[in-house]
Amino acid sequence: MQPGLQAYLTVAGLLFAIGFAGVLLRKNTLIIYMCLELMLSATTLALVAFSRFYGTMDGALFVFFIITVAAAEVAVGLAIIVALYRRRRTVQVDELNYLKH
Amino acid sequence: MDLTTILTAILLLPLGSAAIIALFLRTRGKLAAMLSVTVGFLVMALSLYVILTWSGQEFHASHIWLTFGQYNFSMGFYFNHQTALMLLVVSFVASWIQLFSVGYMDDDDAKGRFFGGLSIFMFSMLGIVLADNLVMLFVFWELVGFSSYMLIAHYFKTDFANMASKKAFIVNRIGDFGFILGIVWCWSHYGTVNLAELQAKVGGNTALLTTHSAIAIGLLLMCGFVGKSAQFPLQVWLTDAMAGPTPVSALIHAATMVAAGIYFLARIFFLLPPFTQEWIMWSGAGMTAFAGLCALGQTDIKKTLAYSTLSHLGYMACAVGLGYPQLALFHMAMHACFKATLFLGSGSVIHACHHEQDIYKMGGLWKKMPITGATFLLASLANCAVPFFSGAYSKDSIISAAFLKGHDGGTVFYGVYFLVLFGAFCTALYTVRLFSVVFLGKPRSEDAEHAHESGASMTIPLTVLGLLSLGAGWAVYGWNLFGDNFTGLLPTNCAVVFLRAFNDLHDALEQAGLAHGLEFVNLAVVAVGLIASFIYYGRAKTVGDPLAAKSPGVFHVLERHGWFDDVYDWYVVQVQQRICDILGALDLFIFKFCAGWGTGGAAGLSGSLLRRATVGSIHAYVYWFLAGVILFWALAVR
Amino acid sequence: MTAFLFYFLSALTIVAALFVVFNREAVNSAMCMILALGGVAGMFVLLDAYFLAALQVVVYAGAVMVLFLFIIMLMDTRARRIRVTEMDLVAGIGALLMLTVGAIWLAHKFPAVAEMPEIHPLPSDQVALGYASATKTFGFGLFTRYMLPFQVAGFLLLISMVGVIVLSKKQPAEDDKSDQVRK
Repeated sequence: MQPGLQAYLTVAGLLFAIGFAGVLLRKNTLIIYMCLELMLSATTLALVAFSRFYGTMDGALFVFFIITVAAAEVAVGLAIIVALYRRRRTVQVDELNYLKH
Repeated sequence: MDLTTILTAILLLPLGSAAIIALFLRTRGKLAAMLSVTVGFLVMALSLYVILTWSGQEFHASHIWLTFGQYNFSMGFYFNHQTALMLLVVSFVASWIQLFSVGYMDDDDAKGRFFGGLSIFMFSMLGIVLADNLVMLFVFWELVGFSSYMLIAHYFKTDFANMASKKAFIVNRIGDFGFILGIVWCWSHYGTVNLAELQAKVGGNTALLTTHSAIAIGLLLMCGFVGKSAQFPLQVWLTDAMAGPTPVSALIHAATMVAAGIYFLARIFFLLPPFTQEWIMWSGAGMTAFAGLCALGQTDIKKTLAYSTLSHLGYMACAVGLGYPQLALFHMAMHACFKATLFLGSGSVIHACHHEQDIYKMGGLWKKMPITGATFLLASLANCAVPFFSGAYSKDSIISAAFLKGHDGGTVFYGVYFLVLFGAFCTALYTVRLFSVVFLGKPRSEDAEHAHESGASMTIPLTVLGLLSLGAGWAVYGWNLFGDNFTGLLPTNCAVVFLRAFNDLHDALEQAGLAHGLEFVNLAVVAVGLIASFIYYGRAKTVGDPLAAKSPGVFHVLERHGWFDDVYDWYVVQVQQRICDILGALDLFIFKFCAGWGTGGAAGLSGSLLRRATVGSIHAYVYWFLAGVILFWALAVR
Repeated sequence: MTAFLFYFLSALTIVAALFVVFNREAVNSAMCMILALGGVAGMFVLLDAYFLAALQVVVYAGAVMVLFLFIIMLMDTRARRIRVTEMDLVAGIGALLMLTVGAIWLAHKFPAVAEMPEIHPLPSDQVALGYASATKTFGFGLFTRYMLPFQVAGFLLLISMVGVIVLSKKQPAEDDKSDQVRK
């Protein structure tokens, strides 16, 4: 049976949920960041599926921009993490609690 | 050159002079003086040219200045016979006073500022004279108030001058508040503020003046007049305004600015309903008598003359109230001549006695300062309305008109007649007191001993204005000189304003058979006053004021101006200040405590609560984020 | 054929994602992430979005994940065990519930579209921005309707480049006396 829109959306949803779980469960900043990217990827999949099934290009073009922005965001985010590591010598989230009241 | 161009030149030349002085000549006093005097005489020449070559047709020219929606503010000229008269008075008197100031202020450091102020005053006053609508009039009205404020505070290093200038401005503003309300209401009610259009609308139609709006508008517009021309109850600023230099007192507070109110009333006379006219009449008559009395209680020469000005302003107001605005303008023109002479004479005396202003430190100056003395005598006689002097014609007409009102209108109006007659009596009293104490007898102080006649720059204006105060009134005899251009000593185009009213009044008096009787009574009153005063004050053996010595209580009442100033002082200090303090405390309470501490406290409290949420753990923040997403989702799905 | 490919790729992606989350070593996580992204790229191909698939592999899996690997290897971290706290359990169950509810709601909201509509490989003049598999469609859309976001994205990249340079500058240490003259 051909995979319909529901199938693609289910996959995207599962991917999103796994990514979210990863954000909640892991303590390493870098892995949390990777899971964020996973969530982003899931949304791109959903967008392209919608775009294909409704015959319009807008979704795909939006994905184009998402990838661009994600790339820029990753660069800046990793630069921040590196700067943070230089100061605090750790990337474990529970040790980065300097803003605790 | 057409009329518009010349009038624009007349209006803007003083402004140009003021601008040049303000920008370049602040420290070069002599140059500033020369510029200002030259411009003054140029304006006088142009005004004479306009008046003599004018055809007699009413002239309008206007230019839209601002537009707000459907409302247009325009600036323009409205030239009729009243304008001609006022223009002549203002430009003539102002030029000679400016010449006088050159001599008077020769030892002053701030000549530049002074002459700049005189120039800006000329500009503002000419604006009032030439204005064709109420809004433009109001703009220049305020400018005149500003010039007065600036010039009174010329000696700004003394507290008295500063306080006097503030008082003048603030009291004026109180009147102007009513004025602006009147202008706005007039615009709303009649649909226009242009004087010519208003006259066309309301002019012959007295039925329009019976509505409540019209009465209110008349009263409100009168407020402006009350403030500017120092009428009851806002007369308190004029005597303190004597803190300014004497030429300023002569120009602004005797001849022109205070007369602007009278001129304004004459311009809008058709808008005044009977109730307003009666109010003006009674308050004018009352002021005449009261100010005349108070002049007897002053020992400062300028303050005496200030009360004299108040008294004569009362006459002018009374004339307007009686229904003869043209006679008010007549008296205004005559008053400008002789009061300016009196003030300039007093300036000459003050200057000679090294800035001494107490009359009981002068004396015997007749021999030492003959020209000043002679012109002062001429002007004093005109002030008292001695026959054949200029003041007589106008003042006697007003007194006769008052009697006529009583005769025709109802016996209660005889009160007006008695008040103005009493005012004439007092005038004679204080004038002779002043003259005899200052000029006759023996010198009472060192300064008076060493006084000598002032220089030409001061005596020439005195002579010119003194001769005018003798002969300006001869226009009523209808002598046509220089072709038809001059009637007596005044240009025909100006004299026309009052000649008809004068003749009408005298015809009415003849018809009622009162003419000669009234003249006789006037003459008798003046003669009695002159003689009595000469005996009481001129031959007095006491060192100071005889009244002060013999009945100090009465003297004290007169000296304190009936405690008017003190009542206002009490009100401002006790009542108004308390109200302001309460408002200030309320302001402090609301804004500082409630708003400042209140909102600040609330912010701080909520801040410290929210602070608990920053636990430093990223996962906690993600949970909060999750909670927020659920909330938004719930709201979106709903 | 497509059905088989779809199931295979989706299984690959989901398993790889699970490994990303539940792996102790960071490097292993990164490698599994590359695999997951590759799977997603494959699904793009199934959806006739060839250009996006290439983009995904080149940019996302190729550049972004390689960057990640660099940084991971820069940080010298010990592998730690995953400790599941109570909060995590609560949040996990809550997230699962949310997912289920959301999925059911979505299923009811959007009609089941079982078949892919016909598309032309090249952009057509009839429908502006109609779905086509050629790269030309991207160009067409980007330079007409999405011109502004395109330019803004360019600025964004510039800003992020500048930001990265600024953020990674070495801060001068407080006891740095290298600019003082030695006596």
